[in-house]
Amino acid sequence: MRLNNRVLSIFHGLRIAASISLKMEIHLSVSFSAKAINPKLGCFGVLGFLGFAGFWTYSVDGTVFPFAFFLFFGFFGFYYEGKMSGTFMDERFRENIARAKLKAYKITFGVMLLALIILCQGKLFGNLEYTLIASIITLSLALALGIFLSEYLLYRYDHDDQAEESEE
Amino acid sequence: MAEFECRLKKYRQMKDLTQEQLAEKVGVRRETIMRLEKAQYNPSLKLALDISRAVEVPIEEIFVFR
Repeated sequence: MRLNNRVLSIFHGLRIAASISLKMEIHLSVSFSAKAINPKLGCFGVLGFLGFAGFWTYSVDGTVFPFAFFLFFGFFGFYYEGKMSGTFMDERFRENIARAKLKAYKITFGVMLLALIILCQGKLFGNLEYTLIASIITLSLALALGIFLSEYLLYRYDHDDQAEESEE
Repeated sequence: MAEFECRLKKYRQMKDLTQEQLAEKVGVRRETIMRLEKAQYNPSLKLALDISRAVEVPIEEIFVFR
């Protein structure tokens, strides 16, 4: 029963995240300026440290779902998204968005592929449960990396050579 | 990215336009105009046309591809 409730809560969380992501995509396609976000929301990234609670819950009653909280490290990306709040989204900015996302997702898939190759060798430390835990941690961290990098790289691409700005 | 020479700065200054003013005219940010002038950004056809009309110079005179 408790497991069913946890699965349901994770499902609802994923559903909410998916709807937020869809709204963001729609916003990107019709909006002329980047969303107004407070950079301080990046502090929510510290929630990622809750993932370490998984080691404690696993040792107590074998619960592994807290490891998924490592996903929240991706929220550090809100800091860079906040720094670009209200930026006018001209064609160059939209191209930078696509370029940043492509690179971020390439890196994420690369990490996940590497993890898959290593973890599917068999039992980690001779224990299948450790392999499962490592899989959850790796998947969560890889997804967090993708979320963070897509914003960080956009900021880097857009603010490249800022020191060379010419004033006319 | 295709190698090209951008002569936009010369024609922009002939029209007494700042980067900001030209950016506003063609609907982009000043940073985009700055990158264009340094040939660090390859504009879309629409943007190139808009710039050409704004400075009243043919496209092939502004963007010279090698």
